[in-house]
Amino acid sequence: MSHVVTIETEVRDVTAIRQATRRLQLPDPTYGEVRLFNDRKRGCAIQLRDWRYPVVADVTTGRLDYDNYNGHWGSQKELDQFLQRYAVERATIEARKQGHTAVEQSLPDGSIKLVIQVGG
Amino acid sequence: MKTIEIIVSPTGESRLETRGFQGSECREASRFLEAALGQQTSETLTAEFHATEITQQNQIEQKE
Repeated sequence: MSHVVTIETEVRDVTAIRQATRRLQLPDPTYGEVRLFNDRKRGCAIQLRDWRYPVVADVTTGRLDYDNYNGHWGSQKELDQFLQRYAVERATIEARKQGHTAVEQSLPDGSIKLVIQVGG
Repeated sequence: MKTIEIIVSPTGESRLETRGFQGSECREASRFLEAALGQQTSETLTAEFHATEITQQNQIEQKE
């Protein structure tokens, strides 16, 4: 039997956040309280390229807080790219934990395909 | 060969598809990834599910 599942990414894993930032050549994430314009948030702070304020991930809820002023203070594309990379890293980590091999491939439409071979 | 294929869109949404599993083990096999990635927004059985069923039936008929 086969099935297809669609999943909306939640950012909950610090190791995968760190790997995603490294792969995208962004600064390492920091943990603590950060300022977002007129608000303060506590969590894992990710500094995206050309973003005025960091994106703050609450890893207990998977929620992201940020203020990019509708794209004026940072482009949505940078955040999307981070989310994509995070999902790939998270899935790869989990697959390897289970002893499976994971092979990554870039697709022409900008998607990333991960093929996980399940043994046994 | 049993595989789980994940396509992560440029906006970070994942589409996970299982291939080559028997019965309901595909759900078991991919559960750890679904839990790791986030909230499931939809689930469907694929055309391959029906194709596999028909192929198995044909094989049984041929053996008889």
